[in-house]
Amino acid sequence: MAVNPRDNDVFPQGETYTAFVRKRRRTGAFFRTLFLLATILAIVILTVLVLDVANNAFGYVAIQNRIDPETLIDQYYKNQMLAMPRTLTSEEDEVLAEGIAARPGAIGFFGYAYYQDNADTLRALAIDGVAPSAEAASSGDYLLARPLYIYTSQQLMKQGPQVAAFIAFYLDNATAVAEDVGYFPASAEDLAAGRDQWVRATGLTASTASTLLPASGAIRVAGSSTVQPITRRIAERFQTEAAFTGEITIDGGGTLAGFERLCRTRDIDIADASRAMERPDIARCNSNRVEPLAFTVGTDAISVVTSQQNDFLTGATRDQLRKIFIGAERWSEVDPSWPDTPILRFIPGAESGTLDFFVAGVFGDSLDDLPREDLLVILTTNISAGRLRALNAELAMEERTRDEIQDLVVAEVVRPNIVESWSFLESMFQQEVIEAEVASIPNAVMEFRSWLSWDFITSPQSSNPATAGVFTAILGSLWVTLIAFLVSVPLGVGAATYLEEFSKGSKIDGLIETNINNLAGVPSIIYGMLGLAVFVRFFGQITSGIAFGMADPSTANGRTILSAGFTLGLLILPLVIINAREAIRAVPKALREGAYGLGATKWQTVWSHVLPYSLPGILTGVILSVSRAFGETAPLIVVGVSTFIVVNPDSPFAKFTTLPVQIYQWTSRPQEEFQRLAAAGILVLLLLLLAVNATAIILRNRFSRRY
Amino acid sequence: MCADQTSIQPAANGNYAIEARDLNVYYGAFRAVNDINLQVERQKITALIGPSGCGKSTVLRAFNRMNDLVPVARTEGEVLFHGKNIYDADVDAVEVRRRIGMVFQKPNPFPKSIYENIAWGAKINGFKGNMDQLVEESLRGAALWDEVKDKLKQSGYSLSGGQQQRLCIARAIAVKPDIILMDEPCSALDPIATLRIEELMRELVERYTIIIVTHNMQQASRVADYTAFFMVDDSRTGFLVEYDESDRIFTKPKDQRTEDYITGRFG
Repeated sequence: MAVNPRDNDVFPQGETYTAFVRKRRRTGAFFRTLFLLATILAIVILTVLVLDVANNAFGYVAIQNRIDPETLIDQYYKNQMLAMPRTLTSEEDEVLAEGIAARPGAIGFFGYAYYQDNADTLRALAIDGVAPSAEAASSGDYLLARPLYIYTSQQLMKQGPQVAAFIAFYLDNATAVAEDVGYFPASAEDLAAGRDQWVRATGLTASTASTLLPASGAIRVAGSSTVQPITRRIAERFQTEAAFTGEITIDGGGTLAGFERLCRTRDIDIADASRAMERPDIARCNSNRVEPLAFTVGTDAISVVTSQQNDFLTGATRDQLRKIFIGAERWSEVDPSWPDTPILRFIPGAESGTLDFFVAGVFGDSLDDLPREDLLVILTTNISAGRLRALNAELAMEERTRDEIQDLVVAEVVRPNIVESWSFLESMFQQEVIEAEVASIPNAVMEFRSWLSWDFITSPQSSNPATAGVFTAILGSLWVTLIAFLVSVPLGVGAATYLEEFSKGSKIDGLIETNINNLAGVPSIIYGMLGLAVFVRFFGQITSGIAFGMADPSTANGRTILSAGFTLGLLILPLVIINAREAIRAVPKALREGAYGLGATKWQTVWSHVLPYSLPGILTGVILSVSRAFGETAPLIVVGVSTFIVVNPDSPFAKFTTLPVQIYQWTSRPQEEFQRLAAAGILVLLLLLLAVNATAIILRNRFSRRY
Repeated sequence: MCADQTSIQPAANGNYAIEARDLNVYYGAFRAVNDINLQVERQKITALIGPSGCGKSTVLRAFNRMNDLVPVARTEGEVLFHGKNIYDADVDAVEVRRRIGMVFQKPNPFPKSIYENIAWGAKINGFKGNMDQLVEESLRGAALWDEVKDKLKQSGYSLSGGQQQRLCIARAIAVKPDIILMDEPCSALDPIATLRIEELMRELVERYTIIIVTHNMQQASRVADYTAFFMVDDSRTGFLVEYDESDRIFTKPKDQRTEDYITGRFG
């Protein structure tokens, strides 16, 4: 050994050494940065993956109902009302008024104006204690009141000062004219809000508004025939009082036609409307760069009337009205204190908007408001007899709850159909484009949909993306994974214990060891082929349950949960063994010696100390392996997983599908909606994996804490 | 003592607790100790000392067949226990270890409660008496009872190092062995804990035979009645140099090498 002459010669000194240390630190910093970058990259990639899935799982959809629930309900009640005995219908309100006035046992309804005309012979009823009056109507307390509107846009008022002038005049005179025509005035707040809006839109103040006059040019109005009389009277006064010289044309066509002409064909300046614009209406306008402005100009109210000769009726509740117009034959059936005489009904005909409005107001226009019996009638009258028999065979209608029947009505009759869907990012940043696109689809409604929902989790597979779910697949996955677990864990832990504790290291043991390590790397599809050959074909009698007399005739070919579970069990067996061996090998020698030193046999040592001590490690391996089995697809496809199945598996001998297979199926379909379903399915898969792993980890920690 | 039926019966004139005759232990082809002859007196503390690698631990582990756990280990010669060679074909190592208990270098309580630590050994050996009483008795025997009587349900790991080692001693005496082997039991402990273990050994020796391996010559001179000095030859094989009463080994050893060692001239 050579002797080092002086310390200074063997180690760098002073500045040299400082530089050397700095260099070593730089090397460390370089690798630390490298590893940090790798970590960040991994996190970014994972985040992007999850976000991409989430992006597809939420977003706007365009839903087209085969029949709108409102239509369905209106139809149902209108038909019921029209079918009641002793019911006279007429489109002429005058006929109704005369008919009611002459009969003490009669009841009916029409516009408030006609009641006022006949106030000497008729009595208007208070509904839920509220009599029809200007205040009750404009405040909304009166059940059968609705506001009336006119619509225009800022652009139209700016381009045509005569339009702005007309609307200002309209707002100033609406109250008087509405009463003149037989309606109630709009509330003072609504009118004031209208004036403010006018000021904002035109940039003029109330005092400078007069500079618009005298105006000329054309004013074109169209829309609701309900609002039309007010507009017509205003127009007359505008020409006489404000000396308007231009031409005013006023068309009918209905509220919807008015909105169409205002926004799409854009050949009118003002639309009369008996209802406010809803989402699709606004979207239609926006897509044509029209920003609609609404002005409330009056209030319509329907009067429920009896003859002045009627001596028992001054008011009725909503429930009583329902009974009076549908169901009850005699007054005493509605209220025992009323006379036992027949109810005579005088109502507007089927074409009448008043009837629609009455039905919507009294009976409600949402499926949520309907009682069970009504929903049942709607269901049974709108589906075929065959379908009804099939549904009854699943579960008799009598045993279904109200909500279940409502769900059936939606699924079977309303049949919402998703015709278009958008991702989350599109929904956030291109809302207007989407609204325009939805507006171009007839009868389509735009809705924000979470594809991942409770319904999605609890519904079976379906060819309709709106109702498709993953429940069958979740059950299948749980069954298959459970069996894979039951197969692989005892076998795997047993084999690992043998190899680690009892194997004498013979040649055969060595061979087995090598084999197991290699098996862990075999492609999973090979296991699928093994499963097909062994469990499906060779042991078909057992895996399909025939051997136990439990065969489902449709699955007797062995393509069952049991076959799949065994196949996946074999697939993860090497993983379980390798991980369990590692865990057992990590048991300290001192622990074993302590046990042996007390006179324990090998088995006692293994059972009481080695296995409990290595259990957390074994469980870690089991968690990894079971997660692998949970997410496996390829071998299941070979083994014969069902691609479309709506029957929940109820035994190991049942046909099945699993979540990953279901997701795979969906992603391979061309329609965008199924891609969204797949994204939601992936989220469910991730959540389930998280839940399963979290449970396992909690269990594992509990085991570790015990020692 | 329990009167259980074992194949190891006291010999009529068994003066020694355990006796090694021409004991050789091999690890594969390597001979770890060579021709050890050693007679251990009953109810005395015998210390095995010597430099590192001299085979004293191997000899100790040969006394209760712990070397069997090493796959490549092989033992030649005899170890007589109650007049019977424990390496005879008809003797089960499990039985030997129950009668000749062991305390290891590092405290190795089981990852179980204090109570379970004591009870487990008795349970697997078919103990049928009152377990609570046995646990208390054993913990008292190991001078640990007062410190742990209120926390028997707690993990053995919750104790300090010295307490853990006494727990291991309590665990060993719970199965009522004849001999307790201690393999450097204090090497992982601080001086105060060491002193307590040493005091405990003096108490225990009234009922048990104790054989202790130690690096610490002061410890050997303090606690041991007899001391055996081992050395290693050029082929790294250990052999017994001198065995005598401790007083003599530490005051007037017969062998020059022993004197060199205990006076600190090497080792």
